[in-house]
This record gives sequence, C-alpha cells and structure tokens, in this order.
Amino acid sequence: MRIPVYSALAGGLVAFAVCGTAAAKPAGMPQLDYHSFAPQLVWLVIAFVALYLVMSKLAVPAISDTLDKRQAKIQYDLDAAEKANEATRAQVAAYQKQLADAREEARGLLRGQAEADSGLAAARFTELADRLNGRIAEAEKRIAGQRDVVMAGLEQMASEIAQSAYAKLAGQPADASVLGTKVAAAAKETSR
Amino acid sequence: MHSPMEQFEIKRLLDLKIGGLDVSFTNSSLWMIIAVILATGVFVVGMRQRALVPGRLQSVAELGYEFIAGMVRDNVGDQGKKYFPFILTLFIFILFANVLGMVPYSFTPTSHIVVTFAMALFVFVGVTLIGFARHGLHFLSLFVPKGVPFVLLLLLVPIEIISYFIRPFSLSIRLFANMLAGHTMLKVFGGFVVMLGIIGGWAPLAFIVVFTGLELLIAFLQAYVFAILTCLYLNDSIHLHH
Repeated sequence: MRIPVYSALAGGLVAFAVCGTAAAKPAGMPQLDYHSFAPQLVWLVIAFVALYLVMSKLAVPAISDTLDKRQAKIQYDLDAAEKANEATRAQVAAYQKQLADAREEARGLLRGQAEADSGLAAARFTELADRLNGRIAEAEKRIAGQRDVVMAGLEQMASEIAQSAYAKLAGQPADASVLGTKVAAAAKETSR
Repeated sequence: MHSPMEQFEIKRLLDLKIGGLDVSFTNSSLWMIIAVILATGVFVVGMRQRALVPGRLQSVAELGYEFIAGMVRDNVGDQGKKYFPFILTLFIFILFANVLGMVPYSFTPTSHIVVTFAMALFVFVGVTLIGFARHGLHFLSLFVPKGVPFVLLLLLVPIEIISYFIRPFSLSIRLFANMLAGHTMLKVFGGFVVMLGIIGGWAPLAFIVVFTGLELLIAFLQAYVFAILTCLYLNDSIHLHH
C-alpha cells in the first residue's frame, strides 16, 4: 500500500521540520499559530469557491465544447476522406473495366477482320480455281474436237490410201463401202 | 540571520473583522488570489478564442483539462463526471499555489497545515457523504474485506476503519510537509551560501539550483497526488472496492 508509506514519510518530514523550528525559534512554527487560522480559512474558501465557479461555469464548458467541436471536425474530415477514397476507388475500377472492355473489343475486331480476310481469300481462291478449271475443260473439249476432225481426216485418208492400194494390187477398183467399214474397224482397233 | 521558518509567517496586509471573525487580508490570501487570477487567465482568457487549432495558452488549458479528465475517467469512471470540475479546481488551485510558492519572496498557502487540512477534510467529508447517499448503510461494507475468515475480520475491520479516518490527515500532512520541508531546506542552504561566502558558498549554491528543479517537480507531483487520491477516495465511495 502506498498510503502508509507516504504517511510515514510525511510524519518524518514534519518531525524534522518541527525539530528544526524548535532549535531555530522557540516561539514555534507559524503554522501552529491558531490566530492565523480564521483569515486563512476564510480566504481559502473565497479563493477556492471563486476558482470553482470560474472552472465549472466558464472553463470546463468552453474546453469540452472546443474538444467536442474538434472531434466532430476530425470525424467529419475523416469521413469525407473515406468517401473521397471510395469514390476514387470506384472511378479507378470503372476506368479499368472500360480499359478491359476496350481491349476485349479490339481483340474481337481483330479476330473478325482476320476471319473475314481469310474467308475472302478462300472465296477468291475457289473462284480462280473454278475459272482455271473451266478454261482447262474448254481447252480439253477443243482439243478433243480437233482430234476428232483430225481422226476423221485420217480415216478418209486411210480409206483413200487403201482404195488406191487395192486398185494397184487387184487391178480393179475396190468396193468403196466395204473397204470403208474395214478401214474404220482397223482404225478403231489401233486407236484403242 | 533570519530563521528558515520566517518565510511561513502570516502577515496581515489589511486588518479586517466581520462580527468578531478575523478575516484579515494576509500574504497567504494575496497569493491565493494571485493563483486564482492566473489560473483564470490560463483557463478563461486562454480559451477565449475556442480555436480548433489551439494556440499556446489554449494548449496549456486543454492539457490540464485532459490530464484531469483522464485521471477521473480512469480512476472513477463515468459516475465521476459530476465531480470533475471540483477535482480540476482542486488540482489547479494546489498546483498554482505550489508553483507560485517557488517565486522568490512569494508565499506558499499550501505550506500551512490549516489550509491543506481544510481541503483534505472537505474531500473526506464529501466522499463519505457521497458514499452514504449512494449506498446507505451498505456503504459500511467498505470496512469489511471480502472473502476473509470471521476471526481475521475482528482484526481487519478496526484497521480498515482507522486507515479510513487517517485519510484526511495523511492527505493534508503529505502536501503541507512537502511544501514546508522543501522551502525550509532551500532557506537553510541559502543561509549556508551566505555563511560560507564567496569562497565556499558555491557548493550549497549549486545544490540550491538542483534542488529548485526538484522542488518544481514536487510542486507538480503533490498537486497530482492530492488530485489522484481524491479520485481514489471518490471511487471507493461510488464503487465500494472493486
């Protein structure tokens, strides 16, 4: 316990002070002069009550009011800062979302363009191939027709050569129709 | 050579009597009034602007307020709010009286037992009345420690009662004796400086310089101790030992 320690200490100090006084001035300590008690107590009450009134009526309300106002101001500022912080965060989030959307859109556009490009190329390629095939087919048809003509001419020539050869060998003109069918048959066989 | 006790003499500056009661304005009264005026200066003039960002004087006033407000809150709790202005006044009055007593040729009202005892007795009677008003006769359970065998109670209850009634004495003598001893010591060593003169007086002079710093600390500390013990007594009355 602190109080007994303090009391002992205080008692010791008093004893010291009293002894010191007794040695210095036998008349005693001014503190023990009871004639001075009344004015001290009266003025203590006056001073203390005055200070109490000043403190309780003026100082304490003024200070507590100021402290409350300051606390309210600090709280208000903190709230405002918190709100601003949230707004900023929301804006940043919105901005980032926009950025991401734009990026996605750009990627989509690029992909669509590439697809369109490749489709067009394929279509052109097919068209070109068709045209080439058509020309090839046409050319083949023409070649086949010319070959037929050539072949027909060849048959005619072969039959004429056969007639003249038969006339020279047999000494008489050959039957043109019989010879013609035979040449045609031979021509067919060789062409196969 | 002056006596070291001469500084404590009450000098009547203005003889006044009201109906046989001696109400003379003395040097003690003068320094009490100066303390009140200075404290009013700090706490009322300092707070006049009620600035959100305080100036120097306002910071001092707020510091004192928050110091005692924290003390009351920590030691008494919410029920102590009612008594906060009183404890603040007590602290500020004792602090200003003590510190002003360090001014050369001034007077220290708190170096008189009658002044400190009057304050201590007021606190003692006050907390006792608050205790009875709050708890009625149950307040007497303050003297009965809990969870103690009956045989020991026969010993402990008288001790508790005695220690309770010693409170105003320990409270007042602590403050008075600290002021008395400090000022007497300074005066005695001041006497040594004069006695030893220019040759040997430097040693006690150096001691006085150091001791003046210590006395300023004690001036604050005793005001603090008086205020915090008042808080503790008040807490006992309100909460009956928790």
